[in-house]
Amino acid sequence: MQETQLLANGFSAFAATLKRDLLVAFKRRNDLLNPLMFFFIVVSLFPIGITPEREALAEIAVGVLWVCALLASLLSLDNLYRSDFEDGSLELLILSPHSLYFMVLAKILSHWLVSGVPLVLLSPILGYMLALPEEAYPTMIITLILGTPVLSLLGSIGVALTVSLGSRGLILAMIILPMSVPVLIAGTLAVGQAVTGNPVGGHLAIMGAMLAMAVSMAPLASAAALRISIN
Amino acid sequence: MWQWFHRWGSPKWFYDLSGRWLPWLTGALILFLVVGVVWALLFVPQDYQQSYTTRILVVHVAVASTSLAFFPIMAVAGTITLVWKMKMADMVAKTVAPLGAWFSALTLASGSIWGSVMWGTWWEWSDSRLTSMLFQFFLLISVISLRSALNDSETAAKACAVLSIVGCVNVVIIKYSVEWWNTLHQPASALSMNSGSANGPAFWVPTLVMVIAMYLLMAVHVMMATRNEILRRESRSQWVQDLVLAAK
Repeated sequence: MQETQLLANGFSAFAATLKRDLLVAFKRRNDLLNPLMFFFIVVSLFPIGITPEREALAEIAVGVLWVCALLASLLSLDNLYRSDFEDGSLELLILSPHSLYFMVLAKILSHWLVSGVPLVLLSPILGYMLALPEEAYPTMIITLILGTPVLSLLGSIGVALTVSLGSRGLILAMIILPMSVPVLIAGTLAVGQAVTGNPVGGHLAIMGAMLAMAVSMAPLASAAALRISIN
Repeated sequence: MWQWFHRWGSPKWFYDLSGRWLPWLTGALILFLVVGVVWALLFVPQDYQQSYTTRILVVHVAVASTSLAFFPIMAVAGTITLVWKMKMADMVAKTVAPLGAWFSALTLASGSIWGSVMWGTWWEWSDSRLTSMLFQFFLLISVISLRSALNDSETAAKACAVLSIVGCVNVVIIKYSVEWWNTLHQPASALSMNSGSANGPAFWVPTLVMVIAMYLLMAVHVMMATRNEILRRESRSQWVQDLVLAAK
């Protein structure tokens, strides 16, 4: 009886946090657009910097898309806890009797919904601009759907650890970028396999496993890190 | 058992104990290091394929195998910091991180020197060990820079503990994913370093001596650095002041 009560409380805290964060994000629409435009601009620098030839572009398209998605998600991560830290609502979240795990998970989910999902939606256009072979599109979209939440989850640990620092941009990148390597490898491999017409099921399963592991562990680490940062 | 465990939490106890152990450990270190280096660099026989470059490998394998120990040590120390709030664990974690970064850098350097002769290139992305070692180095640097960025030492201790545990799990995942990345690009690597160990006792005995020497080097360095850290952090306590006054 008590356990179901706790779980129900957890879910209501989850829903309330998610609703609030989405509302806050909606009120600051312009902030949301910036990482997306960054993604667009950086991707379009590659053809200019390397070569406009379609064959050469097709070869690097997957890697460019994944690296740019990683950088864009890194830039948008600052929104995850920063404003809540500055106006003190993060302290209230920690002091509240509800499980911090669910609230952190809700914050990460809302971050993914407003930064990861638009990135996924934009990716076919950028894939076309980079001359990505047609047969790779479904795999690219699926890997991005599986991979961008992992980036948000890992990023949440890094932001939670550094939220109390004044200038955290560089150190956040130093913490998160090496950790994102497995996602990057799995994502590029899967799309590379799709380009050459090989089966991609195994790679997608590995990405799913990474997502499952990140969902279950990253909010715990983030919650612990937040408690440490707030003191 | 628990009393024994709790005694490790006392900086004074650790300082006294390590003071008694250090001469022995240093002596053993010098012995193993001299024997290992001389044996490895002058007397390891010539390999029929790799000629004298196996001598580099003896040093390289020792440094590399030691460098893998740092993240587990930091994760264990981090767990102790978070669960039992033991000050000593954090002092050890703080001194271990820069040493781990040095060992990783030395592994990469000695590996590149060997690779420049044997593979004809200083860097090879398709070797999974090189790549995963590089990312282990990056993660160690991120732990060090997080500690230096956080001013409050207690916050820094706990934050680095969390990052060390996450990093330790991550290093393992990176290792496997990089290997997996390579097996698809380059099956059955002919560059595998295991070919060296097939040489028999003439190769692995000096390697073992060097591995022991490197672990001793790590232990001695960590102990000395931790003693410095104890003196710095406990500088207000009576026994440290007595110690400093007695030394004058």
